[in-house]
Amino acid sequence: MKMKKYFVAVPLSLALLLPTAGLASASDHSHGGGTMTTMTAGAAETSNKAVDLRAALDSLLSEHAYLAVIAMQKGIDGKGDFDAAAGALLQNADDLSKAVASVYGEDGGAAFKEIWTSHIGYFVDYVKATGAKDDAAKKKALADLDDYRVKQAAFLDTATGGRLKAKELEEGLKVHINQLVWAFDNYVAGDFDKTYDSLRESIHHMYGVGKGLSWAITDQFPDQFDSKTVDTPAAELRASLNHLFSEHAALAILAMQKGIDGAKDFNASAAALNENTDELSAAIASVYGKEGGEAFKKIWSSHIGYFVDYVKATGAKDDAAKAKAIADLDKYRAEQAAFLDTATEGRLKAADMEAGLKMHVDELLKAFNSYTEMDYSMTYPTVREAYAHMYEVGLGVTSAIVDQFPDQFAGKMPTEMPQTGMGGMSHQKSSTSDILMISLLIMAMAVLIPFFIARRNASKS
Amino acid sequence: MMNRKKIRFFLAMVGMVAMALTLISCSREVSPAANHTQTAASSPSPTPTTSALQAPDQLMEEDLGIVPVSIYIPAIGVDATIEEVGTMENGQMGVPQNIDGVGWFEPGTKPGARGNAVMAGHVDSLTGPAVFYKLDRLKAGDEVVLKDKDGVTRTFIVTGTASYPRKDAPLEDIFGFSYQSHLNLITCTGEFNKEAKTHEERLVVYTELQK
Repeated sequence: MKMKKYFVAVPLSLALLLPTAGLASASDHSHGGGTMTTMTAGAAETSNKAVDLRAALDSLLSEHAYLAVIAMQKGIDGKGDFDAAAGALLQNADDLSKAVASVYGEDGGAAFKEIWTSHIGYFVDYVKATGAKDDAAKKKALADLDDYRVKQAAFLDTATGGRLKAKELEEGLKVHINQLVWAFDNYVAGDFDKTYDSLRESIHHMYGVGKGLSWAITDQFPDQFDSKTVDTPAAELRASLNHLFSEHAALAILAMQKGIDGAKDFNASAAALNENTDELSAAIASVYGKEGGEAFKKIWSSHIGYFVDYVKATGAKDDAAKAKAIADLDKYRAEQAAFLDTATEGRLKAADMEAGLKMHVDELLKAFNSYTEMDYSMTYPTVREAYAHMYEVGLGVTSAIVDQFPDQFAGKMPTEMPQTGMGGMSHQKSSTSDILMISLLIMAMAVLIPFFIARRNASKS
Repeated sequence: MMNRKKIRFFLAMVGMVAMALTLISCSREVSPAANHTQTAASSPSPTPTTSALQAPDQLMEEDLGIVPVSIYIPAIGVDATIEEVGTMENGQMGVPQNIDGVGWFEPGTKPGARGNAVMAGHVDSLTGPAVFYKLDRLKAGDEVVLKDKDGVTRTFIVTGTASYPRKDAPLEDIFGFSYQSHLNLITCTGEFNKEAKTHEERLVVYTELQK
């Protein structure tokens, strides 16, 4: 296969492509009270080359799904920010291709990019055909997407040396395509609950892809990833929190846009954001108990409410109400930071948290304000920043939790194979049968020795 | 995903039950664009409740993992119940209590899900053969059928076998993640070391999910 030559390049760490974590790993911090437990090597690492690779791919792949759904909505609505949204989607494709190139070389990255961007083009075709009510063109776009699946799957099968099987990849890509088409078709049909369910599923689906691809790469080039694995309890928690935090930012930005536009899908987009809050609170509750989850939810929800206030004030051109919303968000930051500081017993410092939350709040406001000012070239890079920033939050919170509850992240893999035999059927018998064997031997000798003596005597005479 | 309950309004959180909020929150939260002519609040239910669209088959990746209760390997006459085992204090994978039972490594992958599910069975007891005595006779293409308590089955096909020194098996390959769904069966093989009271090698039969 022609593409094979691409895959001999020396892989680099993909983590180099992502900004370094703003929230330092909590294990660097000294703790107020409580003894520091030494982490067992490997299993409880929140960040290493392998786990960072997984996070990098999760981020780009899930952001792709989100931006694709948004761009398709903007496209069919003929919205002014369509070009900027599509531009962000292509920028994401660039970043993903660079990530592929860092593992499989420049040629590999270029080959990937060609295939990957083709499917974005086919989705655009599908949107155009829908707008033109051209069923034949829609069918053509879907057929092109089918061809794409085969090419993309073959590429990844070859690249990973068969670790990812083309047949399974084709199935996975089918799910991805179906989710995006389903989100879009329902948006056009006005069934917004299904639209946003499918948007959420399409984001979630990408975390399985990210895990699979990062597993294949780290398995293929163990030396480049310090022989670390992407599959540990700590890595799973990090992926879950990355997912929920980044989805929060993505859905919040979207709901704010839908809100100010008075869009018919505003309620459904807000409901999707609420589902995300429920799941994030459940994740917190799974670590800090029911009460901890409820306390988190109350504080976290308050900031969503203040963003709503800000959107309403913007719509009403009420500067005083906007200033009030900003002041409320400032208060929220302090409250949220204190909660995290207390919950993690000082592993997450309130001051660091406030700074991180300020970045989150500022990014969402900047994305929203630039949207209302129709400065779309500012909006979408900010959307991407806000999304990526949440991966730093995910890392910070995961590091603290893993450090706080090391026993829960000790790793589940045995260090030795099972002892599945007692020797009863072995060639070397057990002690009881040894006695039997020796007895038999003595009996045999008792017969044989006189026999040999007799023979020797006979030959002598 | 965790809880996918549909809550329809924006600020439906502050410690209230969702039902109550459904009635209350319209007044404040749902209409940020209050000054717009076409607001979300002024069109309370624009969405049709059902869609005329036909949902495609593959809209979600199916989780094929099951909690197995029995294992059936026709080629070597194994028909056994499954016990859940974990990791022992000394780091070894646990083994079934019953000499004729098979132990599924429960902290690991569910058979059928992506990754390597692992099961272990004894090759022999102190006095005679045990459930996996003939495991080494399995060859590529043989079937291993698992069943859960509801009778849902997953069939795995043998792809190969390998023996490793008992202290030097590729644990990551046997127990770690994989994009494909595998089931790896383990038993003892090789010479019996009387001092260590264990066989010197471990046999692994690798299988993959039949789809």
